[in-house]
Amino acid sequence: MKVSEVAKKASLKAFNDCPDKEIQTVYISDMVSDIINTKEGSLLVTLQTHKNLVAAANLVDVSAVIFSRGKEPSTDVIELAEKAGIGLYGFDGDTWSLAKKLYEIGLR
Amino acid sequence: MNGKECDHEWEMTNVRNGYLVMEGCFGCGGRLSFFSEEPVPPQDDYREGDHFWSFRGSFQATKFDIRCTKCGHLVNLQDVNALMLCTNCDPDCPVSKAAKEGAEVACWAYVAICPDTTHDKGSCVSDEGIRRLNEYYNQRRSSGSLIKVLPCRMRKSVDQCHGIYLADIGLTELY
Repeated sequence: MKVSEVAKKASLKAFNDCPDKEIQTVYISDMVSDIINTKEGSLLVTLQTHKNLVAAANLVDVSAVIFSRGKEPSTDVIELAEKAGIGLYGFDGDTWSLAKKLYEIGLR
Repeated sequence: MNGKECDHEWEMTNVRNGYLVMEGCFGCGGRLSFFSEEPVPPQDDYREGDHFWSFRGSFQATKFDIRCTKCGHLVNLQDVNALMLCTNCDPDCPVSKAAKEGAEVACWAYVAICPDTTHDKGSCVSDEGIRRLNEYYNQRRSSGSLIKVLPCRMRKSVDQCHGIYLADIGLTELY
């Protein structure tokens, strides 16, 4: 499933405009030290809007990042993600609600 | 299968969670780091020859090795304490220059940080470690950009580097 399809079905807010990528799986984590184990193509769900997160997300080639609980990244984080071609999205609800929604949409 | 004949496919293995601990010597200005797997990382000051090492900080981090899924060849990355994204803060820095060399597509430089931060002992991450990390991070990449992993000895200045460490630095600023 493509990121754009998930963004539409889950009513996500887009923080930037990046190439549409195929999602291989979903990974939920708030620790950079943990994210570096993520598989490529993962849709990363996190509360963390720090620049370190984008640096790690780029290294492991995630398909996109979703910030839950209405968290919004700062301009420099958005710029770095845009350079890396990583789409950043926001979700107003909590991580559990988002996880349920992603599963209902069909992500596994 | 002989490792040299294998078209390696790398996977991460021996993943260890712990702390990246940084120390500095007030006498010589030298810096070093080590990876601690203890529940609480050590913060003791100690003497080592002419050095007096003091705790400078610690961050949760992950260490790992890589192994070929085809031939089983294991690359021990004991000498890699962390990775750091180069932000091209200084165009004259050899890391920044190397990132741009011969790159026809977007290239992201990541610096492999060795324990001997100021390289007082002359050691750094092994050539094989660097080569294999490059293979590992680029083998399944689909985003069209390249990852270039470089040894930290190439950094122009440890003090002026604005690189972004892949460790849990600043993550307590969550709310």
